[in-house]
Amino acid sequence: MTAPPVLSVRGLRKSFGAMTAVAGVDLDVEAGEIVCIIGPSGCGKSTFLRCINYLERPDEGTVRIAGDYIGREPAAAGGTRLQSARQLDRMRPRVGLVFQQFHLWPHLSALENVARAPIRLRGVDRSEAEAQARALLARFGLAAKAGRMPADLSGGEKQRVAIARALAMKPELMLFDEPTSALDPEVVGDVLRLMKELAEEGMTMVVVTHELGFARKVADRIVFFDAGRIAEMGPPDELIDRPRSERLRLFLSHFQ
Amino acid sequence: MTLDLSIITDNAGLFAQGAVATVYISVAAIISGLLIAFPVALLRLSPRRVMSWPAVAYVELFRNIPFIVMLSLFFYGLPFFGLRLQPMTTGIVALALFGSAYFAEIVRGAILSVPRGQMESARAIGMSYLRALREIIFPQMLRFFIPAATNTSISLVKESAVLATLSVAELTYQGLIVQGQTFAPFEVFLATATIYWGLTALLAAGFRTSERRLGGQAQRGFSSRHRLAARYLSLEPEPRS
Ligand SMILES: Nc1ncnc2c1ncn2[C@@H]1O[C@H](COP(=O)(O)OP(=O)(O)O)[C@@H](O)[C@H]1O
Ligand SMILES: [Mg+2]
Repeated sequence: MTAPPVLSVRGLRKSFGAMTAVAGVDLDVEAGEIVCIIGPSGCGKSTFLRCINYLERPDEGTVRIAGDYIGREPAAAGGTRLQSARQLDRMRPRVGLVFQQFHLWPHLSALENVARAPIRLRGVDRSEAEAQARALLARFGLAAKAGRMPADLSGGEKQRVAIARALAMKPELMLFDEPTSALDPEVVGDVLRLMKELAEEGMTMVVVTHELGFARKVADRIVFFDAGRIAEMGPPDELIDRPRSERLRLFLSHFQ
Repeated sequence: MTLDLSIITDNAGLFAQGAVATVYISVAAIISGLLIAFPVALLRLSPRRVMSWPAVAYVELFRNIPFIVMLSLFFYGLPFFGLRLQPMTTGIVALALFGSAYFAEIVRGAILSVPRGQMESARAIGMSYLRALREIIFPQMLRFFIPAATNTSISLVKESAVLATLSVAELTYQGLIVQGQTFAPFEVFLATATIYWGLTALLAAGFRTSERRLGGQAQRGFSSRHRLAARYLSLEPEPRS
């Protein structure tokens, strides 16, 4: 028996009032796979990521992390039922989410941003958690910044701390929502390089991005989202060089 | 006309008793009011109408009646429900509930002043709602919460004077007693006003200290312009009654 996919999404739907943001998505991501999601603004990419860890509660569909349901699970009587808040809180650390706007905790130092969740949620000793956090920060070139408050960090540094914060919980899957869109052009490369290293180490990743160069180099598969659906999906060369749909061709033409 | 300070010194004992009672009533009402305010604010923030609606009703109920009317309603109304409380207790309960409506709005505003992404990043990593509130939201909301809560607390100290209508021996009541004995209203109310001023100044100093203790670290992340704006916004006088 082969291991279940790290991420398995089935029939995911989410509407905001009359506006359908995610209109029925199925997606499997295998261990170590890197999937990049591209698509026009407003097509539901963020909503899709946020539905995976139930920051946004999907209207329909199921999500499994390495075979375990998150948020909603099959009910004994048939159909599905929502998990309890405690069940959901236990599942969430298995998925790391990196936001476009970082959302670091401004009242905590860089080190504490990284160490806090392992200490509180995993019961790791403070000294051990801090040592691990320092090691993570050092790996990301932030050894000298551990004691800084987020307000005293540059955008690129903030995003690297945010990635370290998510990794500190040892997630099985990392989700990135346009991680470089809020960064100055000169530091975008630093963050992308770090993500590439993560990918090479075998992390499973789903990355919403407008960085086609990164997607082409790093992704195993690219997903083109359009109007809340997966409109096209395939290996980078195929999808970028030989788009099948007119919509994708048009979308790609904006990057020339 | 000259001031006869002996009127104050001769009755210093009564003024002191009154001041102590006022401090006791105010502190009890402020602390209970704050304790009630947090759950009310959290209910009000709930996306579910069945949760938020009662909280809205609670706040609007207590915010839209003059305190003196509310106190009378409690004093004369509670016995109908078989609840016979001492005037002092009735007063503290009424003042606490009255204050809790204002405090609840302050807590709600303070929570909303923290960007949504803060709660989301805390939940995404696996913190429960209450843990995220405690560890991530509360430290960041203090810079809004404390100045506004100071204002409301000062208003509650002043409103506590209304308990004099129930013959509770607090500061204003004692002043009226002294006035009745001495027929020297100017001296008496000058003394009373000065003591109120001293008490509210002490209270404000207490809040400033707690702000430094609790929020000093939290504030390091924010610009001074932001803090100035927070102070300015908190200048709106409330409660109005
Ligand atoms: N909380 C929300 N409330 C209402 N509408 C929303 C909300 N979040 C997203 N939407 C809408 O859903 C659609 C998809 O948004 P989003 O997932 O952010 O797209 P993308 O990330 O691809 O730009 C948009 O039309 C957006 O306006
Ligand atoms: Mg988006």
